[in-house]
Amino acid sequence: MNRVTATESAVEVRDLHKTFRTGWPRPRLQPALRGVSFAVPRGAIFGVLGPNGAGKTTLLSILATLLVPDRGEARVLGLDVTRDAHRVRQRINLSSGSASFLWSLTAQEILDVAARSYGLAARVRRPRVTALLQQFELTAHAAVPYNELSTGLKQRLALAKAFVNDPELLILDEPTVGLDPDISVRIREQIAELRRSRRMTILLSTHYMREAEQLCDEVVFLRQGQILAGGDPDTLKREVLLGDRVELVVEGDGWRGLSSLPGVLACTSDGGRVRVVVDDARKRLPEIFRHLDERGVPVTDLTVTEPTLESVFIELAR
Amino acid sequence: MSDLAAPIGRGEALGSPGLGSELVKLSAFFLRSWRMSRRNMFTLFEIVFWPVVNLLSVGLLITFLRAEPGTVVFVLVGTFALSTVQVCQLDVAYAALFDMWSRSIKHQLVAPIRPWHLVLGSWLMGMLRGTAVFTLQALVAHWVFGVSVVAHGLAPAIALLVGLLLSAAAVGLLVCTLLMVFGLRAEMSAWSGVSLVLLLCGVYYPVSILPAPLQVVAAGVPLTHFLEAFRANLGYAPVFGTPLLRGYGLAVLYVVGGYALFAWAINRARRTGMLLKLSD
Repeated sequence: MNRVTATESAVEVRDLHKTFRTGWPRPRLQPALRGVSFAVPRGAIFGVLGPNGAGKTTLLSILATLLVPDRGEARVLGLDVTRDAHRVRQRINLSSGSASFLWSLTAQEILDVAARSYGLAARVRRPRVTALLQQFELTAHAAVPYNELSTGLKQRLALAKAFVNDPELLILDEPTVGLDPDISVRIREQIAELRRSRRMTILLSTHYMREAEQLCDEVVFLRQGQILAGGDPDTLKREVLLGDRVELVVEGDGWRGLSSLPGVLACTSDGGRVRVVVDDARKRLPEIFRHLDERGVPVTDLTVTEPTLESVFIELAR
Repeated sequence: MSDLAAPIGRGEALGSPGLGSELVKLSAFFLRSWRMSRRNMFTLFEIVFWPVVNLLSVGLLITFLRAEPGTVVFVLVGTFALSTVQVCQLDVAYAALFDMWSRSIKHQLVAPIRPWHLVLGSWLMGMLRGTAVFTLQALVAHWVFGVSVVAHGLAPAIALLVGLLLSAAAVGLLVCTLLMVFGLRAEMSAWSGVSLVLLLCGVYYPVSILPAPLQVVAAGVPLTHFLEAFRANLGYAPVFGTPLLRGYGLAVLYVVGGYALFAWAINRARRTGMLLKLSD
């Protein structure tokens, strides 16, 4: 994964609050965000993760200027999303996995209307639309009305539309939801390529932990409108799951002293199978082997399991 | 997926600010309506079938009642007005309805457009369709009933048509506002909004026969004055003085007020989350 070294933030969010009022005449208050703060470096792919109803879409919608926060501050590319909303809109774009467009317009017309919405002159717009159709393999379907496109094609079109203004910040809300695995993989590759080639900052919400793990430089976990944890995926996995799991098949009980070794967070046994949780397996394995060797404990089998972001998600969503 | 297309210059991506860029944005909404309309066979019903059926049924009724020629024109002009306003205001309402029906409104409003791009672009299409309906009805009325809207010159007919299109913009803006505030629950207003003015502004009768309190309300409806101005040429004295001036004055006031309301409603939808509720 490419680490981001830029110091300037593309997105800065400070103490963001949003509560929805539903029902009439006695409105019910539904807090969606409760004091969210984070920063996204320019050029990073930043993941917003969390279970349904965590506030992910609310957060992304505020950053996309589709929703006004009640309290707190959000700045995108140095601009306040409430006060400078129009200028923010010129420099960002949004795509969601469940996007929908006007049913009778063809794929080409949808991109054309989107490009016109950004004021693109014909000399820029026409080649741009053609290039996007090619890039997202939609050329063969350019003249097909939207309601006759397959789900995969609709999603590709939604992604293509998000690039129509070559945004500096791209907001992707569940971009690969419901797609065939091969298309999802290609879209992920493309997202990674975009960041690499254009230094585009990408804000991504996803349910697929593998996607976040593969793409994101940093992630935040939201639950009930609050950030539970945040950081780069590797550190998070260790912090939240308390480290890597080392499973050893040993003889005798010479393993008992393992729990006193530095970096060992837990040690349990089930017959001859010993499970050790360490902060970093690569660092601690030599010490574990030295400890067992000194006590004459032979190791017949070894398995090391690194925690996945998925297990972090499950842990945090509990 | 193939290699990435070459990035466009960011200045170009934003569309260099100026009149050209604003016109391009405006064209997005005109073309959108044009393309949607072109592919919808029910467009023919909207601009041909219903207006002609309406005109013929009203025309035949007054022929059966043996109305004087002046009365026939009086009533048929009301029919022209109603159909023209209905079709044109629907196009303005489509500015919001298309995005709501397709649940794509957030994808539209994430772009750097102003409410006037949406409304004016859609209204341009409405003017085209409204003018088509007016012209078609005028031709059918001339052919079937021997009535000519240009019998007293082209100017009164054009003044009426422009007034009708302005009135439609005001009604359409009100419908868009209701849609943005109440969501698709307010959809019926797009079809029933015009019916309210039907009663008040004397489409089929002079407003002088209305009870005095309703006449006061009628005086606040621009369509009342546009119809009175046109009918003055047929020898029907207007109830209210300087009808054209009043009509245009009120229509412009309502369009400006309606636009302010619509812009407020969009901002409100961004505050309440209505935009998200109306999207995917």
